[in-house]
Amino acid sequence: MNDEEKFFAWLDGELDPADAAAFGAKVETDPELSLLAAQHRALGSRLHAAFDPIAAAPIPERLQQAARPGADVVDLAAARRARLIPAIPQWTALAATLVIGVMVGTMIPSRSPAPVDVQGGTIYAAAALDHALDTQLASAPSGDVRIGISYRDRAGEVCRTFTQPSSSGLACRRDGRWQLKGLVATGGEGGDYRMAAGMDPALASLVDTTIVGEPFDQSREKAARDHGWR
Amino acid sequence: MDQSSSFEGQLSALLPRLRRFAHALSRNAADADDLTQSTIERALRSRDQWQPGTRLDSWCYRIMRNLWIDTRRASARRDAREAPEEEGLKIGQDPRAAMDAALDLSRIMASMERLPDEQREVVALILIEGFGYREVSEMLGLPIGTVSSRLVRGRTALLTMVGDQ
Repeated sequence: MNDEEKFFAWLDGELDPADAAAFGAKVETDPELSLLAAQHRALGSRLHAAFDPIAAAPIPERLQQAARPGADVVDLAAARRARLIPAIPQWTALAATLVIGVMVGTMIPSRSPAPVDVQGGTIYAAAALDHALDTQLASAPSGDVRIGISYRDRAGEVCRTFTQPSSSGLACRRDGRWQLKGLVATGGEGGDYRMAAGMDPALASLVDTTIVGEPFDQSREKAARDHGWR
Repeated sequence: MDQSSSFEGQLSALLPRLRRFAHALSRNAADADDLTQSTIERALRSRDQWQPGTRLDSWCYRIMRNLWIDTRRASARRDAREAPEEEGLKIGQDPRAAMDAALDLSRIMASMERLPDEQREVVALILIEGFGYREVSEMLGLPIGTVSSRLVRGRTALLTMVGDQ
């Protein structure tokens, strides 16, 4: 295993505990390796954000049928011939709903300060969104941002879903800041909170893949806030 | 619950994950669902070859990957016969150019498509599907060092393609 392969094996949790600890210490003192680790962790999150919604989407009927015992198996060639609409690249359908990254800044009415702050490829909540994530409880909505659920993720960090005019998203507390893990354009005009009624499937999938245990109830949410979301 | 209903039940439960893997391998959603369906049909036909007590998910992923390799080979032969200039045309007509370049999601999926097959499958299995290096090495019948080096090349190329905005 060369150094590069060892770095990634460490990042993927493939080293034995002793090697992993030694390598982790090395990465910590090496700014270049630390940056690379952060970039590749972000890449992993983006891959999940792109592909996990597929696993969360409803299964097409023909696939369900194929897996059912004794079901009439749809003839694949016939299905192909019958398909009148040319194949659409998979990402166009998904891209219409799930938007992550630099779009973030453009989805928000320009009269308010940008609710996000991009640093080194990572997106953080800012301004009113940051304030709401910091202080607001799901049970006491106020202002433009509404909090959905709060929970602890696999890394032990507190994550919260939120809805704001024309978008909803997921942010997790890392190093004292709210890092955006996903943002979905809900296409609504200002003041449209339709997503509050039910979570967008893409976001729901992000929550599903990261949550450990149950979402916080009211008292745990308040306790977490009072402890600075640690 | 008898053996057969449990097999089919488990297969149904795997559908969402298998579909996700198919989408990571395939160029479009229709091909991905065709691949998922072929995989399910093959798994049902070959159920005698699955050993109870071993992981059904790894077995199904392997079936899917092998079916995908077969169709890739077939289409590569067809492309070579019918449209030797296809590569050049594809670049000229790339639908990605029409997309909003700011859409990170489309960019990352499009970048996956541009990875060589042998890197894409390893990236999908480890970084998206969450398998370990050893599991993938067994699934694909490759030495673990090969899995590891393909993963390094694939994820490094992906990071370059999606940029670091």
